[in-house]
Amino acid sequence: MSTRTDTSSNAVVGGSFEGDLRRYLRGLGGLLVFLLVWWVGAMTTQPSYLVPGPLDSVRAFIDLFATSTAIVVPVLGSNLVLPTGLAHLAQTLFHYVPGLLLGASCGIGLGLAMGWNGVLDDWLRPLVRLLRPIPPLAWVVFAIVWFGIHHTGAAFIVFVGAFWINFYGAYGGVEGVSSELTDAASTLGVERDLSMLKLVALPSAAPQVLTGFRTSIGRCWMIVVGAELFGAPGVGYEIINASNNLAMATSVAYMFLISLAFLSMDVGFRLLERRVLAWR
Amino acid sequence: MALSSGSSSSRDSREKITIQNVSKSYESTQALANVSFSVLEGEFCCVVGPSGCGKTTLLRAIAGLDDPDGGSILVGGDPVTGPGLNRGMVFQEYALFPWRTVRGNIRFGLDRPACDCPNCEARVRELIDLVGLKGFEDAYPKELSGGMKQRVGIARALAPDPEILLLDEPFGSVDARTRDRLHAELLDIWAQTGQTVVFVTHDIDEAVTLADRVVVMDADPGTVQSTFSIDLERPRERTSRDFVDHVAQIRDELGSPVDTSH
Repeated sequence: MSTRTDTSSNAVVGGSFEGDLRRYLRGLGGLLVFLLVWWVGAMTTQPSYLVPGPLDSVRAFIDLFATSTAIVVPVLGSNLVLPTGLAHLAQTLFHYVPGLLLGASCGIGLGLAMGWNGVLDDWLRPLVRLLRPIPPLAWVVFAIVWFGIHHTGAAFIVFVGAFWINFYGAYGGVEGVSSELTDAASTLGVERDLSMLKLVALPSAAPQVLTGFRTSIGRCWMIVVGAELFGAPGVGYEIINASNNLAMATSVAYMFLISLAFLSMDVGFRLLERRVLAWR
Repeated sequence: MALSSGSSSSRDSREKITIQNVSKSYESTQALANVSFSVLEGEFCCVVGPSGCGKTTLLRAIAGLDDPDGGSILVGGDPVTGPGLNRGMVFQEYALFPWRTVRGNIRFGLDRPACDCPNCEARVRELIDLVGLKGFEDAYPKELSGGMKQRVGIARALAPDPEILLLDEPFGSVDARTRDRLHAELLDIWAQTGQTVVFVTHDIDEAVTLADRVVVMDADPGTVQSTFSIDLERPRERTSRDFVDHVAQIRDELGSPVDTSH
């Protein structure tokens, strides 16, 4: 939703090159002010580990790639040696990606089914209302007793988080299909319910399904770090691990790394979305 | 079958659409009350009436999108039981598939298994020419003006080559000049295809411009008040004496209180 308003306001405000430039300069200004405040804050705070300074943090970030760490690839069981930062990022992705993809597929599947089939909707709506408000991280206890807090357990928690966001994207998308379009399709020879779903409901719901998925990319990063604070391996675990050694600059470096990983996934998916939804 | 044979004997063999005592209610309002009339094969029939007279409901019932509560609708002698490719529909708000290009929208009805179309590509090209959208084949609906959207709507409805074309206030949201041009184009298309046309509008001028026959409906409950034959040469001149007379006659009819003796 927010993307649409963003791009449309860009089109109105920043149509000109000067407008774009002015906006970039302002953004840069904001960043510089933040760096200054951070730097002054770090200089004046004692003991120094309470607020690690920007320079220390950058140095710690570079250090993440100066050493190597061996990690075990789940399922394959083989060893993989990567620069330390990337190794821990890979560990996170080992449960983030399967959890996200599986949760999104199941959520979209159920959302489409319930949005399209009234009987199923009647059956499951109260259950959905009851289960949905449970924060995904609350499932951590079951993740631990069922799977142990390792890749599978963390993937399970990510799954729960991805599931609901994608469920509501698909559910709302299919429910919002205009009856005019289904009427038009009926007069053009679409007879079976399944053809209607494929030819009209799915493409019409695609924007909301994709928005749901993009939202879940971000939400799952929040969740995955939460799961790792409980002990699953990955960047979230490294944040708390470094802070246990009072290496707060290293914690900040991992926070940067998460931000970069999330940002690149988000930008990548936005590009894909714009391509797929060129008709909008 | 036994029931319909009695009525079909009284049916003119040229009747393409036969509407018999059709009624339809929505909650508290009676949209249609015992509506009966017929449309001859190849006839251009306009249905006019105030909003709420059930003209759209009637059109949707002919299309098979709504079931009447009572009465029957025959198309070519067969009762309507649902939508079918022998009836094409053009919608007031276009109802184009926004994710499909002009070409994709027009092609939609040709991709159905029920549609026997050996050379769909050529058919789509022909239709794009027919409605004057050459050069816009790959445009999405959002890039088109209202008039162009409705051209796509018409081409899409024509694609499966229906015997009947149903139009629900198709030019209600286009500007006057575009509407005039679309009227001329629609009449050209009709002359070429010889289809039976039912065109719903609340604009009397529009009805007299287009129709062989105008069915005037009255609201609450929706009934057929009267029908007028328009025996004027086409293209019709809106300022001509005969044209103005016809319009005035229909306007009087619409303005007059409900009179069951008609």
